[in-house]
Amino acid sequence: MPRKKRIVDLAAREQKLSYKLIAPAIIVLILVAFYPLFQVFYTSFTDRRFAAGVDEEVSFIGFENYRSLLGVTIMELHTVDDPDTGEATIDPQTGKVVYERAIRVLPRSPVRYRELMQFSFLGKRYVVGARDPVFLTAVWNTLLFTFFSVFLETLLGLGVALVVNSKFRARGAMRATMLIPWAVITVVSARIWEWMFASSRAGFFNMILNRLGLSDGQTSFLTTASLQLPTLIAVDVWKTTPFMALLILAGLQTIPNELYEAGQVDGAGRIRQFFSITLPLLKPAIAVALIFRTLDALRVFDVFQVIMGNRMFSMASYNYYQLIGNRNMGLASAIGVVIFIFIAVFAVIYIRMMGVDKE
Amino acid sequence: MRPARRVERVFGTTLFWVVVIVIFVYMLFPFYWAVNSSFKTEAQLQMTPATFLPRDSEGNFAPSLINYRSVFRDGQFVRGIFNSTLVATATTALALVVGSFAAFALGKLRFRGKKPSLYMILAMTMFPQVTVLSGLYAVITTLGLTARPSMILSYMIFTLPFTTWVLTAFFKELPVEIMQSAWVDGATPFQTFYMILLPLTAPALVTTGLLAFIAAWNEFLFALTFTTIDPGARTIPVAISLFGGLVARHEPFGEIMAAAVVVTVPVVLLVLIFQRKIVAGLTAGAVKG
Amino acid sequence: MKKLLLVGLALVFALVAMAQITITVATGAVGIELELARLAAQMYMDENPGVTVRVLDTPDMVQDRLGLYLQFFEARSPEVDVYQIDVIWPGDLAEHFVDLYEYGAAEVVDMHFPAIVENNTVDGRLIGLPWFLDAGLLFYRTDLLEKYGLDVPQTWEELEEYARIIQQGERATNPDFWGFVWQGNAYEGLTCDALEWIASNDGGTIISPDGVITIANTSAAEIIEKAAGWVGTISPTGVLGMAEESSRAVWQAGNAAFMRNWGYAYSLGMADDSVIKGKFDVAPLPAGKSGAGAATLGGWQLAVSRYSRNPEVAADVALFLASYEMQKMRAVDASYNPTIMDLYFDEDVLEATPFFGRLYDVFINTVARPSTVTSPNYTEASTLFFQAVHSVLSGRTDAESALEELALDLEDLTGFEAVIDF
Repeated sequence: MPRKKRIVDLAAREQKLSYKLIAPAIIVLILVAFYPLFQVFYTSFTDRRFAAGVDEEVSFIGFENYRSLLGVTIMELHTVDDPDTGEATIDPQTGKVVYERAIRVLPRSPVRYRELMQFSFLGKRYVVGARDPVFLTAVWNTLLFTFFSVFLETLLGLGVALVVNSKFRARGAMRATMLIPWAVITVVSARIWEWMFASSRAGFFNMILNRLGLSDGQTSFLTTASLQLPTLIAVDVWKTTPFMALLILAGLQTIPNELYEAGQVDGAGRIRQFFSITLPLLKPAIAVALIFRTLDALRVFDVFQVIMGNRMFSMASYNYYQLIGNRNMGLASAIGVVIFIFIAVFAVIYIRMMGVDKE
Repeated sequence: MRPARRVERVFGTTLFWVVVIVIFVYMLFPFYWAVNSSFKTEAQLQMTPATFLPRDSEGNFAPSLINYRSVFRDGQFVRGIFNSTLVATATTALALVVGSFAAFALGKLRFRGKKPSLYMILAMTMFPQVTVLSGLYAVITTLGLTARPSMILSYMIFTLPFTTWVLTAFFKELPVEIMQSAWVDGATPFQTFYMILLPLTAPALVTTGLLAFIAAWNEFLFALTFTTIDPGARTIPVAISLFGGLVARHEPFGEIMAAAVVVTVPVVLLVLIFQRKIVAGLTAGAVKG
Repeated sequence: MKKLLLVGLALVFALVAMAQITITVATGAVGIELELARLAAQMYMDENPGVTVRVLDTPDMVQDRLGLYLQFFEARSPEVDVYQIDVIWPGDLAEHFVDLYEYGAAEVVDMHFPAIVENNTVDGRLIGLPWFLDAGLLFYRTDLLEKYGLDVPQTWEELEEYARIIQQGERATNPDFWGFVWQGNAYEGLTCDALEWIASNDGGTIISPDGVITIANTSAAEIIEKAAGWVGTISPTGVLGMAEESSRAVWQAGNAAFMRNWGYAYSLGMADDSVIKGKFDVAPLPAGKSGAGAATLGGWQLAVSRYSRNPEVAADVALFLASYEMQKMRAVDASYNPTIMDLYFDEDVLEATPFFGRLYDVFINTVARPSTVTSPNYTEASTLFFQAVHSVLSGRTDAESALEELALDLEDLTGFEAVIDF
């Protein structure tokens, strides 16, 4: 009886201690984050303008901001028929069937839909119209960017961490070197890369490609559609691989050496050791690194803003454009909430998959 | 059989070093290009084709210190280094202390409401910075804080969830037996925390602090907003954004590169020195404990 | 007794301190610009001992500066009294500034170029006091024109032809050489460049001052198509990503025959280590169908915040900073283009910067962007415009479709009526 009481007592004490321990963190976060976050949610349902005039009224407009961001429609495009024969016209140059222009088909009132993309399905041609094709394109760009950059960073980060964790000369120098990309101020690192990708031979890449005889030295990396996203991913991978590498390295360092010794006794090969000992023990470190990297990648701002400006948006740079450029605070807040939802979905998926919240 | 194994080993070592060298070049080259650019005058920067070292029009090695001189011309930049160091250090310390407390509870203790707390802490950091800026500005104004404390407090939004989550993950990995044996020895939970948990996770602690430090060091948007009316509190990224050229629209690219070099090298060196000391200190504590 | 004296003394000090008014002026961060602003502030304080003028530097990146200002307005902050604002902001930001006519600006406005005063007047209220101005100019290489026996191009056709001739000739020795560089990135600068093409070709100014969307017309489409033809021929494809500084980098390395840019490139090109020092000059931009070139109006104004605690004093500071003497000082010491017409005939100014005299005609005939009529939606309107032009320049669409779509977009945005004239 007293023993049970003691356990209950212990549990109660543990609970009390826990609350005391997390209290400071919760208080600090509520203090700085609660009001701003609440305001973002609230504003996303209004037509509020940023830095509005003194006597401007704000009205509640429900989900209108979300509808104007995400509204899409699909319409069929008809062929342009020859008035005499009644048959579809064929472009003499390309040899393809000519369809009517999307702008003629997409609805204009009560709200206008702009062309997002076209596709063919079962021999018919369709156009996808969106109320805000720029935003939807930004979402797509951000998702592609996140997928590739986080994937590459994890792979490279793991590689770098394994290399640095093994004992060799120049290991110290390597650790220092590894920090540099992460330590360079983000805006400045974007500028460094922008300069290296300059469209004349004043830029490094054009100079080197030209010297190797691979180009005329006038390639415009940053305006060529097919090169834009890969360039941005390259910049981000360089910048944030150290983040991944450092966290994974910390994970490697907390793996007790005895485990490997035991593994060696068992005669496990290096590769088997890696998959049976290292990787499972690294899982929590990798999971938490992945969560925070993905979270940052989905909110990517500086790289897009500095290198692409208005030529190509990420979700966050489009958010900035709507808030600062157009002062649509309601709409910008809705974008913020959409980003929040994306991040939350990713976070929950990771947490479930990697079992981070398990006891 | 033996020569084959030897070949294998030589091959392995060579491969290893090739990998090491590739990583070195990849990590270092863009920074090298910034260093190279920082020693060039505007005319040298615009020169085609670009050169691997600063050269004059005849091709002679001709580095210029003009960018470094202008970076240090007024006190702004040096003051920026001071402010950044102060703000980033305070942010890191606060985020680590508060974060490790929370992580101890979240990773090692049992209590009701653990999962919601974890998710809530993470949710605080899921919004893009621009969106929360105006709300945050209102909070700071209401609290009546000056520039430096405003920055430290607002940086909690992105550093505290990070330190809490990372440390929770690392604490959780530690075997429960270690703690139980300490409790049996009569140690209070708190003693177990700082005498056993902390030393054992020293590498994680240092790494987390490092990453948080650099994140705070690099922050621009909040810093710009909070320090505009208090130029004395401006941090490095703000100071760099205020570098003006000779006339409006003229952008002093070389100067920006010089500033980047000046602020990056000491950070890396300091971090290395500190890291070794801290890890050594913490590990020593563990041995003693 | 002694104690009483001390208390009295303290009181006097306190009163003096209270009477001391602080006026904060937010200006540019650039070297000379900031120095001159501080110098002028000191001069004002010498004349008005009761006032302290504090000069705050703000980022040179226009977007960063605007974001910062908006943050202050959102918080209705009285911290900054006088703001240096871009020529495109008076319409959008009018609600946050006082009407300077109520503070004695009426006496001085007639000295300034009428185009800027009109631009800065919103619903009859004078939002900004013109401070210095800027306009698009054609930079050309005097040595190369001479070498190939050519004159300064008067029309876009001539420019195209000369650029091609010089480029062909120079390529023999310099593989990096281009005929013409300009600002083709998708940003506000492209709005300026494209407005110049269109206005000089009788294509209007996107939206007319009385609120009609005129952009969808043949003349505009024609000249945009012409510019699209430059990309990859007389201009590098990289021009589609170029802003002022990146085009100047090509030009000042001696790798271009012509450049469209603002006045600032003149003094930088004349720097001692510049390759092209003494080998170039400036001229009005070429003409299209209208027979005359057009230059987009740029520049900065001083505006007084309506959240200021001392708007009278703040307005007085602004009037002082934009006065004849101060503008003259800025023109002589740092070649800032005055907004006061008489200064273009002032001997001291002409001695310091001789090209000002020749450019008077350019400055008096500038074209303003439609920022006041589209307020508070100018940024969005301009973005729609430069995105449309950029899509034509990069070959994604043809000019007519792009402009028609643009006209519809502008209709949605502004509620004005569009005239489609193809």
